Amino acid sequence: MRRRRIFLCAAIFCAVYGKAASAASLRQSSATKPGSARVVTDETGRRVTIPLDVKRVVTLAPNLTETIYALGLEERLAGDTDYCDTPPAAKLKPHVGGAQNPSLEAIVALHPDLVLATTSINRIETVDGLAKVGVAVYTTDPQTVRGMLESTAHIADMMGAEEQGSALVAKLQARLDAVSARLADVPPVHALFVVWEDPLITIGQNTFIADAMRWAGVESVILSQQKWPHISFEEVVRLQPEYIVFASDHAGFGAEELGALRSREAWKQLRAVELGHIAVISEEINRPSPGLVDAIEQLAREVHPEVFRAAENGKVKMENGQGAREMARADFGSREPLGLKPRAFEGSDMSRLKPRPTSLLTLQWAAEFGAPASMTSMRPDSTAEIVTGAHLRAAL
Amino acid sequence: MNATAGSGTSTGAQTRPFGAEPHSRLKVEQISYAYSATDRSAPKFILGPVTFEAQQRELVAILGPNASGKSTLLKLLAGVVKPLSGRVEVDGAEVGGLDLRTRAQKIALVQQESELLFPLRVWEYVLQGRYPYGRRLRFESDEDCLMAGNALAQVGADALRDRWMEQLSGGEKQRVILARALSQQPSLLLLDEPTQHLDIGGKVELLRRLRKLADENRYTVVVVTHELNLAAEFSDRIVLLQKGKCLRIGTPAQVYQRDLLEEVFEAPLEVELRVTGRPRVILRGSH
Amino acid sequence: MKPLTPGRILAVCGLLLAVLFVVVVISLRMGAYPISISEIVMTLFRGVSGQREQIPSEFWLVVFGLRLPRIALGILVGAALSTAGAGFQALLRNPLADPYVLGVSSGAALGAIVSLVIAPHVPGLIQIAAFAGAAATITAVYFLGRRGGQLDSPTLLLAGIVSASFLSAIIMFLMTTLSGRDIRGMAFWLMGDLSSPAAIDLRWLYFILLVVLGSIYTTSSDLNLILTGEQEARHLGVNVKRVKLVVYIGASVLTGLAVSVSGAIGYVGLLVPHVMRMLFGTDYRLLIPASALGGAIAIVIADTLARTVVAPTELPVGAMTALAGAPVFIYLMRRKVR
Repeated sequence: MRRRRIFLCAAIFCAVYGKAASAASLRQSSATKPGSARVVTDETGRRVTIPLDVKRVVTLAPNLTETIYALGLEERLAGDTDYCDTPPAAKLKPHVGGAQNPSLEAIVALHPDLVLATTSINRIETVDGLAKVGVAVYTTDPQTVRGMLESTAHIADMMGAEEQGSALVAKLQARLDAVSARLADVPPVHALFVVWEDPLITIGQNTFIADAMRWAGVESVILSQQKWPHISFEEVVRLQPEYIVFASDHAGFGAEELGALRSREAWKQLRAVELGHIAVISEEINRPSPGLVDAIEQLAREVHPEVFRAAENGKVKMENGQGAREMARADFGSREPLGLKPRAFEGSDMSRLKPRPTSLLTLQWAAEFGAPASMTSMRPDSTAEIVTGAHLRAAL
Repeated sequence: MNATAGSGTSTGAQTRPFGAEPHSRLKVEQISYAYSATDRSAPKFILGPVTFEAQQRELVAILGPNASGKSTLLKLLAGVVKPLSGRVEVDGAEVGGLDLRTRAQKIALVQQESELLFPLRVWEYVLQGRYPYGRRLRFESDEDCLMAGNALAQVGADALRDRWMEQLSGGEKQRVILARALSQQPSLLLLDEPTQHLDIGGKVELLRRLRKLADENRYTVVVVTHELNLAAEFSDRIVLLQKGKCLRIGTPAQVYQRDLLEEVFEAPLEVELRVTGRPRVILRGSH
Repeated sequence: MKPLTPGRILAVCGLLLAVLFVVVVISLRMGAYPISISEIVMTLFRGVSGQREQIPSEFWLVVFGLRLPRIALGILVGAALSTAGAGFQALLRNPLADPYVLGVSSGAALGAIVSLVIAPHVPGLIQIAAFAGAAATITAVYFLGRRGGQLDSPTLLLAGIVSASFLSAIIMFLMTTLSGRDIRGMAFWLMGDLSSPAAIDLRWLYFILLVVLGSIYTTSSDLNLILTGEQEARHLGVNVKRVKLVVYIGASVLTGLAVSVSGAIGYVGLLVPHVMRMLFGTDYRLLIPASALGGAIAIVIADTLARTVVAPTELPVGAMTALAGAPVFIYLMRRKVR
């Protein structure tokens, strides 16, 4: 009798829950009128239904946020992650949490037409979870620099910004081709890219960073098929790479840390350290976004100085209302200025100014903007800041 | 006479026949057992054959030096271990053929208890003895509670009812364990060296209680013990074992012969016969 | 002398169910998307009564698509882990036993990692592989833990601990050779995370839960006896061999189930049975349903906190149970020592 009662309660519970659960199985969420959406296949092979008119997009990774800004589509960016800080304006957008553990609800609450994710940072569980509730998620899978450019084009296509997309891709490709052209007859430099010092972790041959470095004429000295191989220091000493490359993160792998590293016994054994062949480049080297090209150019200049020196390190005459002055010329490769005034831009020092400037106290500096017309102006109210020895952030 | 009401009998289904019993309570016929280290080597230890009978109200003591097979014999009586040959019958039914449940209703075995992991009240512990009488999920009935209460009364542990098991003294715990065995309403009560951890007062008290249980509540009690004198004082029959062989079975006076005891226990012993007719064993030369 | 009655069991379960209900409603209320309790109740009511069209699609999505499945998963996992913990504590005669002590979670983790190496993009594969790993471990430990033809508690415990260590070593080896992306997924899984939906329909999982819970429950009075001594239980007529087998398989299956959908959430299986013992006594006929419901309550609370304390970032629920679990554990230990 008791057993029967228990069974009855269980059956009722199952029935009620079964009804609720089956009712909850979701089909496509928002009512899509025929002809207002299309089906695309994302870079992981998943079929996604995207509205033709994408008004609101949410990005789940910093590189995707950067790409949106680079395409000039930031007004349509409804939300990004806590870690999206490039460009700084992205920090002001509504956040949905971390890249790996965002809140699905927060994403849904932003009513996105499209969510962008990437295999390099996001978890498949997040993508699955969003897909299950009917949110359109497009996942990029950039394995190479070319792949990044294609992703950028895809994203532009989906957002209805094909023109901006092709323009951006063309520009980036042009810069890359320029670097390649200069490096055409030059043998690659063998370098060790240090992901982490202790334990010593570097990159494998098939990684995104390795590909990016190749564009800059740098080959990783470690031949490994793994993605993040742990290696022993002795191996490095045996291989004696020509260069050691670090990527600076926001905490700043600055001059101090570098000094500390160089004074360490173990590292002193490396010829590269002795010769000062240590390159610290922007962390964008690991980010499949337009800013990557800056990092590639920066790396190329550092590691192949003789190729890029050309007519630089000269002086240039500048004029302003107070007369003409001769000033040291520093070439900053840069992207377009972003956003409304005050406009901000970031650039990497492409020249080989010696000594490397560590601070810029001067309020006078000239910004030369490229063809067709070159403008020279001295703006006393501009501020500049050297972040590392080779990276400049400025507001004009 | 039997003053304790309800002891040993009950109304309802679990009634034992009251009055003349056609079978002996306990009948051991040519029981033997062998134990070897591996399947193929020669048996290291052989017990038996042993034959004896016991009726209700009898207390049998199994004596012998260490490793003489006392515990094994007890396990054979309990049906825990299958004999090589021979039979053990309780109330006319062969123990080996009984299912677990019926066996637990007839035979209660009291061994050294294991450590309790979680706190338990005395009455909960004693109530567990009613397990053989319950259905699948087993919620204790009023009758179960009555039986358990009776069992506690029979051992004089009624006052301990609501105490926590871990708070009991050695002697109190012994009584409670006995009560649990009694709540099984067994025909046969088996105890394996129950006096081991008790002081002399406790030992005497326990044996007295067992005697009383046998006399007043009609249990058949079989005790394995080292206590020669207590066994002599309180038991009706002694089974003397040595190295697996059953040397003698009889009343204490019959079994306690000086030469025999000295040989078995390999100690200088003297046997005195007291006025009660019970023998007493002392070390020689210690008058 | 007040033995346990079915009435008391139902009363306690009723109380715990009421608490669970309240916790669920509060949990449904919490989240990034603003929705009031009345709107939740309306959505629930209309959903169950089949008036889906009248609910705004976003309410539906949030309540039935996001929050309720997660809560339901949490209830499942909490009930499974706590019951398994109570079962193992009896089976192994060890109050410190938790569902993972016999290596089931390590086996599941290994299954999960292997599936990430082989086919990282197949949705749901990781859960199936995890359960397969758990099942393999259960079988192996069973054969290792036998002595004289039946499960022997100390041997079983030893077999389980050794297996767990061995499997953990393999897992560590694999993790150092895996790429960054795959490790990332594992980190959340190892801590215990309810944010990924279950690969199999929840209804099936609940069905399995109830069936296994039921079969363990049938041995509850036997477990009471076994806890006072295995030999004694045998003499009282308990089929100790069969009971141990049922509890072993049942508790291991529950653990494997929970771990494959949510990773290894810690402390719940260990502590909830102890807390329920302190509140309601050690009788397993009450302890098993109480632990199941108590575990469900604990996980729902922990998961609600996990997804709201640093919103919008979501913490893995295992982090919450660890944070709360350690102080509770210390408190319980001190009470015992007294």
